[in-house]
Parts: sequence; C-alpha cells; structure tokens
Amino acid sequence: MSTASAVPDVLRGRVAWIFGDDFDVDLIIGVENIKYYDPDKLRAVCMRAFDPEFADRVEPGDVVVGGRNFGYGHPHYPPLVALRNLGISAVLAESFSPGFWRGETYNGMPLVTVPGIAAAVRRFDPVEVDWRRASVRLPDGTELAGDPPSDRTVKVLEAGGSLNLLLREHARRAPAGAEG
Amino acid sequence: MSSTSTGGAAPPDTSDTSGDGTIVDKVLAPAATPGTTRPSGGRTITEKILARAGGLDDVRAGQNHPFRPDHMVAYDFPGYTDLMFKQMHDDFGITEVDDPERYLVFIDHMLSNGDGREQEVHDVTRRWGDFYGIEVHEGRGIGHQVAAELGYALPGKFLIHFDGHISGLGAFGALGWGVRRDLLEAWVSGQIFLDVPASTRFHLTGTFAPGVDNRDLVHEIIARVGADGCAHQVMEFTGPGAEAMSIGRRQGLCGMAMFTGAVSAIFAPDDLALDYARRVARTEFEPLYSDPDAVYAATHAIDLDELRPRVVLPGSARAANTLGVDEAAGTPITKAFIGSCASGRIEDIRAAAEVLRGRRVAPGVQLNVVPTSQVIHRQAEEEGLLDVLRDAGADIAISSCDFCFGYAKPLQDGENCISTGVLNISGRMGSTGADIYMGSAYTVAASAVAGHIADPREVVA
Repeated sequence: MSTASAVPDVLRGRVAWIFGDDFDVDLIIGVENIKYYDPDKLRAVCMRAFDPEFADRVEPGDVVVGGRNFGYGHPHYPPLVALRNLGISAVLAESFSPGFWRGETYNGMPLVTVPGIAAAVRRFDPVEVDWRRASVRLPDGTELAGDPPSDRTVKVLEAGGSLNLLLREHARRAPAGAEG
Repeated sequence: MSSTSTGGAAPPDTSDTSGDGTIVDKVLAPAATPGTTRPSGGRTITEKILARAGGLDDVRAGQNHPFRPDHMVAYDFPGYTDLMFKQMHDDFGITEVDDPERYLVFIDHMLSNGDGREQEVHDVTRRWGDFYGIEVHEGRGIGHQVAAELGYALPGKFLIHFDGHISGLGAFGALGWGVRRDLLEAWVSGQIFLDVPASTRFHLTGTFAPGVDNRDLVHEIIARVGADGCAHQVMEFTGPGAEAMSIGRRQGLCGMAMFTGAVSAIFAPDDLALDYARRVARTEFEPLYSDPDAVYAATHAIDLDELRPRVVLPGSARAANTLGVDEAAGTPITKAFIGSCASGRIEDIRAAAEVLRGRRVAPGVQLNVVPTSQVIHRQAEEEGLLDVLRDAGADIAISSCDFCFGYAKPLQDGENCISTGVLNISGRMGSTGADIYMGSAYTVAASAVAGHIADPREVVA
C-alpha cells in the first residue's frame, strides 16, 4: 500500500515556520494575491510579510506548524499552492478550521492535527511525521501523538488528493492523460 | 404540488434549561469527546438527518461514512464550477445524470457589471444545465436564500454546497454543509464521505431588545466561545428564544456558523418553519428532532434580552475583534452596506427603514442596500420600505452577492465601511486599502445617518 502512496509513510523535514492561532492563510501570500495561481508570482509573494528570505531558506520536505484553528476565515487555495511549490510537505497544527481542512485534504496536502505541537517546536527543528498515526517525533526523540485521520482521509492522501481517488473509483472512461 | 408529513417525534420540550438572566456561557451538559463511542443517550437532529442520508439506522458523532445529499448546491464561479463541469464530463465521462433535481445551481455572483467575462462564466453554466437537464436559477437573488424560497430547504433534508454559508438553511431544520471542492465527489458518485459532527447547543431565552438582532447574537457567540468554539461541530439553537425568532433571523444566524468553526447550524423545525416549508415544498419531507436526552459537546444558555449591539473590527470576526458598539462608536465611515446571505432579509430592511424613516444618510456617506432575493425586494417594495430608504438617500441594488464579495468594488483605498456582509477581511469589498467593520442592519443604518459608527439604540429604543 505504502509504495503506491502519493505521500511517504514518514515525512522528514524541518519546521519552516510557526503560525499563531486562528491563522488566516490568505496572509501567506497577501490578500491582494489570492486570485493568482502563477508559480512565479506566488513564489515572489509567498511569506514576504513574515520572512522575505523564506523562499530561499525553505527546503523540500519542510513542514509548517500552526496553532489552533489553522485556516480560519474564507481560506483560498493559492496560499497553500505557493507553500507546496516551495516544497512544504505538510501542515502540523493544534487544530484546523473545517473549511481549510476539507479544501486542502481534497488537494492532497497532509494536515496533521497534533495538540501541543506549536509550543513543542522551534523554527528549523527537524521533525519526523507519521501522518497516518498523527505522530510527530521531535528533535529530542520524544513523540507527540495527535488525532489520526479517518480511513477515508488516509485513502485521499495516499491517492494524492480527492480528485485522483475519485477518478480511480468512479471514472467511466479513462481520462485523457491520467495513465502512463 | 407535494404532500408533507409531520410524522416522527414532536419537538421536545427544552424549556427546562432556561437562562439565568445573563449571557455568560453556562455549560449545562458534560462535554462529550467527538470520536468516542457513545453507546447510550439520544441523538441530535444532525445525527438523525445524517443517519437517514447514510441509509443507516443510527450514526454517532465521530463516525466517518458516505452520505447521500438530497441536494447538491452550487453557484457558478470561475475556477470552481467551470472546472467541475469539465471534470464531470471529460474526466469522469458523465454524459447524463439520473436525478437532475438533486443538482441545484444558482447564478447569483457576477451579475452587476454586464461585461463579457461574466457572460462567459454564466454561459458555461447555462450550457451545462441544458446538457444535463439541470435547472439553473439565474438572477433570483442569493442562492442560499433562493434555495429556501424554491422549496429545497425542507425539514430533515441534507444539502451540501462548496460554500459554507449554505448553513443558513438550518433555519428550516435542514442540514446545510459547505464541503468545498468535495462537492465534486457528490456530483460524480452521488454521495460524500463525512465525519458525523458533534453538536453544541445554544439554549436561547428572551427576545431581542429594540435595535438588537441576530447579527449581534452571532457576534456575541463568537466572542464568547471563540473562533473555534464549535470547531467541526453543528450549532443547534433551542429554547423559547429560538422559537420566538423569525425565519429570516434564523437564516441569518445559521448562515454565519462557520465563524465559530462549525460546519453547520440548525433549529428544530417548529410550526413557523413547517408552515413555510409546506407552502413552498417541492418534495415530500419528514421533519426530524433531537431526542430530549441527545448528547451535546456543550450547552450554552443565552438570554437575548441581555444582548447589546456588536461591532466587529476590520480583519475577521474573531473574538478579539468583536466589541460593543459603544467601544467603536465615533469611527468615521464613508460607505455603509446592508445585504448578503446573512443580513439582507426583510427583517434587516425593516430595521433599516425603522432607523432611516424621516432621517437622511449623512453627507459624504453612501449606503448601499441589497435585498437578499427578488422576493424580498418585492416585499420590501410593497411594504414601502424601499421608498423610505430611497428618501433617506440610500441606493438599492439588484439582489446578488456582488457587493459582499467585492465584485461590485464598492470600496476605494482609504475608505471605512460598516457592513452586514459575511466577512471583513482586507480586500473583501474591492480594495485592500479599505477597512470593513461589521454590524447589524440597525447599526449600519444608524451609522450611515451619523456619518460614523453609532449605537442604533439611541434611535430605535
């Protein structure tokens, strides 16, 4: 099962940023940019308000950490597209706003609910995330255990998002370009 | 056109837990942890609706299961529906649908500029509707309201939308759930996997004082329980204060559920809701009610008599931004807006007329009023309310979402607006350099007259 998964069994990366409670993801790229999907545009504005050098410092596999209710508001998709383009592989948060959680799970981004995570890590700490168990191994070797996703959510993430899973389950004919 | 049933249990008497005269939250029931097994105890209306939609005898909070929505609702919007239309046809090979009545599509955004771009978006939607035999409801007003007027939001029904403000249909004892792009899952498979939510009960007593309404209540609740106080749950409104509330006020209240983190909100369908539903119903329906011993994550008692007008500072509706109107009074404004799926109903227009009758909008202030639907627009006209508003200097616009979500670009850099829209983040109404305050229609109208944020109780009390 794991070999076919779009998400590795264990995610290894650094904590690229730690956001606060009730964080509105639109702020990641600035509300004036929430309608853009162009990668160059998004790279140029991503995290500028927090760390102008973020795009150069982030590494593939890094994660971001949030506080309670991450994604509050009307969460648009481009902010997480921008983070994903930079290599962010997961969001670990104390809790997620339902709309954000559903929208980004659809997109295949592992969102791991881990109470205590925001206070337990500092920026650039290396972490290991077993997203199916919602377990995070911290630099000192201790583990924080969160709320594991449902079996359905696991399937969505393994497929690389809801659309891919639905195509496997419900496509009545081979979609152009989906195979091979 | 349809028969209705009032079968099933009668509404339980919930009057035994009346408030204590304050609006301080009071936990009346032990918290249940969502996701844990609950072998005993009654079921909430939400659990019962989902059990029915899931073809199950019983469900409990925390259970993940596929549920079949009675209606799958959307408004056309670029990047959403146009993409989903294409996916449905091209990627999933769906060339016909068995049950077009389950697909409900509104054209309620992008109606006010009349340019080629918006016509292009709407043409895609019209062609899609024609292709599948799906009725597209165009220009009747904001879909979350029109769905009720057209008889889709019936007691016991389960409706989904990609937009979370579908929760407003909870006013009728229906469960409306915003599922974002997972709407596609239901479009192509007929069902959607969901986690059954726990519920938090808000037991309401009393009635709104003059100059206070459901907007003040929802902002009070957000301030009290926090922006995630009902996270992943359903807000359930009970008690004599809930039963005394008009349908329009219930819709506005339920429509703002997402700002407590809730996935929806709901009232028990009482005689008021049932009368409305029987009048408009397109299909049969059977109301459902929470059991008297239903298990809630928490219960809060709120005395509506104690509420005061609330104003939300620019940024978001979170607790730290929510003030009493006296704390924000005096803030100068240049724009005022009454409308949206939360606050453009007949009650809101009556409130504005109550404030504006015999008064004038202050020089330098523009007040835009958008009745939520054409039906409401007509009613407001017939009641003479729009004449009152026009005489006061207000502008009345066609029923759409365009002011609230910013397409009509009502704000310019440097402006302050007081709004009954659903959201006040930067850029929401057309300019990232403008500030949006939120309040009730009473507060917006009083502020428009004063030229600055003002307490409506000084006018209507």
